[in-house]
Amino acid sequence: MRVVIADDSVLLREGLARVLSEGGFEVVAQAANADELKQAVRRYKPDVAIVDVRMPPTHTDEGARAAVEIRAQQPEVGVLVLSQVIEAAHALQLFSERPEGFGYLLKDRVLEIDDFLEAVRRVGRGGTAIDPEVIGQLVGRRREDDPLEELTKREREVLELMAQGLSNRGICEKLVVSPKTVETHVNSIFGKLGLMPAPDEHRRVLAVLAFLRA
Amino acid sequence: MRPVVSDGVVRDDWAVKRIVLAFLAGAGVVLGVLAYRVQIDNLPYPLTTQARAMAGVVAAWSFLAAGLIAWLRRPGNRLGPLMVATCFALLARQFRFSHDPLAFTVFFLFGELAWPLVGHVALAYPFGRVTDRLEKAFLAVVYVVALAFPLAVLLTYDGTARLRFLDPLPHESLLLVSGNAGLADALQDIYGVVGYGVLAAAFVLLVVRKLVRATPRARRVLLPLLLAAVAAALWAVLNGILTFAETPPPIMDDLFWWQVISLTALPVALLVGLLRARLARAHVGELVVHLEQSSPEELRDELARALEDPTLEIAFWLPERGAFVDSEGRTFDVPEDGPKRAVTRLDQEGEPLAVLVHDPTLRDEPELVEGVAAAARLALQNARLHAEVSAQLAKVKESRARIVAAADEERRRIERDIHDGAQQRLVALALELRSAQRRLGEEADPELDKLLESAADELQVAVDELRELAHGIHPGVLVQGGLAAALESLASKSPVPVTVDAIQERLPPEVEGTAYFVASEALTNVVKHADATKASIRAARANGTLVIEVEDDGVGGAAARDGSGLSGLADRVEAQGGRLRIESTAGSGTRIVGEIPCVS
Repeated sequence: MRVVIADDSVLLREGLARVLSEGGFEVVAQAANADELKQAVRRYKPDVAIVDVRMPPTHTDEGARAAVEIRAQQPEVGVLVLSQVIEAAHALQLFSERPEGFGYLLKDRVLEIDDFLEAVRRVGRGGTAIDPEVIGQLVGRRREDDPLEELTKREREVLELMAQGLSNRGICEKLVVSPKTVETHVNSIFGKLGLMPAPDEHRRVLAVLAFLRA
Repeated sequence: MRPVVSDGVVRDDWAVKRIVLAFLAGAGVVLGVLAYRVQIDNLPYPLTTQARAMAGVVAAWSFLAAGLIAWLRRPGNRLGPLMVATCFALLARQFRFSHDPLAFTVFFLFGELAWPLVGHVALAYPFGRVTDRLEKAFLAVVYVVALAFPLAVLLTYDGTARLRFLDPLPHESLLLVSGNAGLADALQDIYGVVGYGVLAAAFVLLVVRKLVRATPRARRVLLPLLLAAVAAALWAVLNGILTFAETPPPIMDDLFWWQVISLTALPVALLVGLLRARLARAHVGELVVHLEQSSPEELRDELARALEDPTLEIAFWLPERGAFVDSEGRTFDVPEDGPKRAVTRLDQEGEPLAVLVHDPTLRDEPELVEGVAAAARLALQNARLHAEVSAQLAKVKESRARIVAAADEERRRIERDIHDGAQQRLVALALELRSAQRRLGEEADPELDKLLESAADELQVAVDELRELAHGIHPGVLVQGGLAAALESLASKSPVPVTVDAIQERLPPEVEGTAYFVASEALTNVVKHADATKASIRAARANGTLVIEVEDDGVGGAAARDGSGLSGLADRVEAQGGRLRIESTAGSGTRIVGEIPCVS
């Protein structure tokens, strides 16, 4: 899988490149700012672009804007955004109703190397990787007549993993349970929340996130 | 700039002057009676009537009375003497009816000077001087015509030609050179057309021109001149009819009376206009009363009313700034004292206090300006202090905005430095440790593995703490995601359910910062005090302002008490040049609205 890394910190870029190479990825280019990133993505058409939200010159949201642009112009390129701060609202802004090939993770997640590599792979395959913290914020939000209160603790965990973008198999591995059990939980959750069962994982993520945002 | 001079009326030859004026008054009355007699005795009915003869004398006396009063009240103004002279000219003119050769010759020759004098009085109003070059030239022509034509008629009149306005019996001209009835007739016709027709029309045009070109204040003063224009126009029409019509039409009589009435009213109107400044001094008394009840902002309007100059401007001298400012404390450029605007400086103990920038016509009423200035001195001092405070307040506001902006900028910079500096490095370092740990893999010494593990964990804790710290200094989501994302984030962390409706576009950082601060403080208040079941946040742009609004359904009764979170909020919004409103009545929730100027 071919990857482009964009981060203005050389130290971090190099560290990421090493971890990714060792994990079996091919790092085709590194970029220190948004313009270099956009050039590299146009030129190498990678499977995934890993993008730091803040980059020069203003260190505000250059990376985020570049990510939105890349997703609009080259939808086949997966974009994994790394952010210094995790805010659900910001994640959802970038997500913009299209979960395919999109990831939004707290920068520190790179330290959980296996999970991180798995997330990059998922985004590269057209899947979704939303930071658990984002999902936590969405789930933890206070609502009037909260239907989430009807879920069991286990179902809640499964819901959160679904929302993060994990497949049933991914959830099995994460929770160390059988695929059959996961399927039962998923059906029960959809029933309790009054959601239509989704035909594929993309739409499942979309449905669950849409529910959590509402 | 002209400092106001003190009101020094010179009264040395007062007594002499009174005697002279009393003599003139007596002479005018006697001459009037004689003139009436001359006309009645020499002009048979229906050429004149007692009423008509009396009307001519009354018109002349009107000039006499107005002239004497003007002379008394406005000794420096030549209008008074001019009006008195006009009276004598108008009366003298009647003596041309006399059949005494000397009286006829003298008064026929000089009698016509009455008309140039009436024009002179009108054009010299209100300052007693004719300054306009065109008006001067016009008057010169009229004087010449009014002398030349009667002279030419006297040189050719041998008693055979018919003299206009006079009785048909022959008169005797002492100046006769060679009799020529045809020429004398033609001269009178030409004089009628040129003197009474063309020149009267030109006079009307000059009056209109004067009014059109005048400043608004001067125009009001000049309005009585319209009477003069009407009189002149009627006079022109009358003479046109007399010159060309075989039999006068019936309207003739009405026209004559209107002409006499306007001529009689003219000196009275001019006198009233002339004394208006005197009347305006009565306003000064009113002004004193008004000023006691008016605020410094209303001072200008009060003075403008007293001076009858709506264009009046006032500026105050601020010694420490070395500049003039307006009542709001803004720098004021004092114009040059010139033909367009006049500038009067008011001093106090040798220091400038203020300047009045006013209509140039006020220059000729220094005593009015001085009276108003004296009456308003205390109010002016007050207003100056007010302007000074305003100027200082404006400065303080500016510096407060600058300080807030600088502090904000500093916080943003620190937050950025933490994220992009220390945090980045620590994450990179932890990543290297994790990498090393993985590379060692299974063969690693378990203790070394544990050491690397805990070092990486510690680093992660440090990164988390730094993130918290940075968030406390300045919320990172505001930088990365803008106001909408930051408000969502705020709402998602609130224990009270909050709905958010916010504009998505990015705004200047200080605006986003202040709006976020308002929402965050207001929401804290909701959670702490409101006992609400739900709240809403709205952020929208309207007319160059960002309106941020936080509403709850709680117990209400919130107020910005000193030192409370809400009063800090008001300070913050005002520092940005905005406004904070708190609508909160007990039992019906609280609504906090911040309006922040936003020009991006």
